[in-house]
Amino acid sequence: MSYKITLWAIVLFLSANSFVSSRQTAGGLPVKKWIISKNSSLSVNGSTNVNKFSCVIPTYDQVDTITLSTNRTDTKVILSGTIGLSISSFDCHNSGMTKQLRKTLNEQKFPALRIKFLSLNKIPVLTTNLQSITGLVEIEIAGVGKRFEVNYQITKNDQKNILLLGTREINFSDFNLVPPRKLGGMIKTKDQLSVNFRLNMISMN
Amino acid sequence: MKKILISGLFAGCILFVISYGGLFLGIRFFPGLFVEYNNPLFNSDGSRDILFYMHAFIISFALSWFWDRFKSLLKGSAIMRGLEFGFVYSIIALLPVMWISFSSLDITVLTVASWFLYGLAQAIIAGLVLAKVNP
Repeated sequence: MSYKITLWAIVLFLSANSFVSSRQTAGGLPVKKWIISKNSSLSVNGSTNVNKFSCVIPTYDQVDTITLSTNRTDTKVILSGTIGLSISSFDCHNSGMTKQLRKTLNEQKFPALRIKFLSLNKIPVLTTNLQSITGLVEIEIAGVGKRFEVNYQITKNDQKNILLLGTREINFSDFNLVPPRKLGGMIKTKDQLSVNFRLNMISMN
Repeated sequence: MKKILISGLFAGCILFVISYGGLFLGIRFFPGLFVEYNNPLFNSDGSRDILFYMHAFIISFALSWFWDRFKSLLKGSAIMRGLEFGFVYSIIALLPVMWISFSSLDITVLTVASWFLYGLAQAIIAGLVLAKVNP
C-alpha cells in the first residue's frame, strides 16, 4: 500500500514539475505574455523631391499577443508574436498620396504587412522610465520578408500598461519595390522610409 | 511637306528645352504646386517616360501643320501672328480638353489651370518660332 502511495506521489510530483516547466523557459525566467491593445499605431514617413509624407495606421484592430522567453545558453530574449496590418488602413492625410502608397505596396496582391517579433538584446526592466533596447524583427511587405534590427524604447506606466516604441529605417528596394516617379522622373520618391510603431500592451502575468 | 517637318522639328527642339527646363525649374522652386502628382492617376513606373519627353515634338509637328494651313489668315508682325496663333490653338483645342479633364478626373482647379497655361505658353512659343521660320 505504502509502495503505491509513494509511486503516486512520485508521479504527481513529476507531473506538477513538468507543468511548472511549461510556464518557464529553460533559463528559469517565467514566460511573459503581453496583449497588444487597440490604441497601438504604426507610421511610415518618407519624402519626395517636392514634399514629405507621413502615412499612419492609427489603430490596431486585432487582438494579438507577444510572448517573451529566454533560454539558458545566452542572455538573449526570445520574442514570439506577429502583428498584421492592413495596407488599406494607411492614411497619408492626402487622398492621392494614400492611393499612391497603397498602389506602391501592391495592396491588391498583398493586402497586409506583417511585423514578426524575433528577439530582444536583453531582458527589459519595466519601469516608468524609458529604457532603450534593440531587437530583431522580420518585416514582411509585398510578400517579401526581411530581418531588421529595431531600436526600441520601452516603459511601463502606473496602470501597468507597457508602451513599446520601435523605430527603423527601411528602403522600398529592401522589399523589391520601386519608389514611384512621376513626370518622366522629375518627381521622385526617395527610397528610404522611416517606420515607427507604438505598441500599447497589457501584461498578462 | 518638307517645310512643315523642318519647321516642326526646329520648333520641337526649342519647345523641348523650354518646356522641360521650365518644368524642372518649376519643381525646384515651387515644389508645392507638384504635390498632387503623387497620385496613381499619373504613371509612376517610368514605362511611358519616352512618350512624356516626345510631347514637345508631337505638339510641334501638329502645330507646324496647323500653321502651314492657316498662316495666311494671321496678319501683322511675326510676334502678333505668333501670339494670335497660340491663343487660337489654346481656345480651340486646349480649353475644351481642360474642361473635360477637370469634369472627369479627380484633379484640382490649380492643376488644370497650370496645364492650360503650360499648353498656352507652348503654343505661343511654337507660334513665334513658326512665324519666323515659315512665314
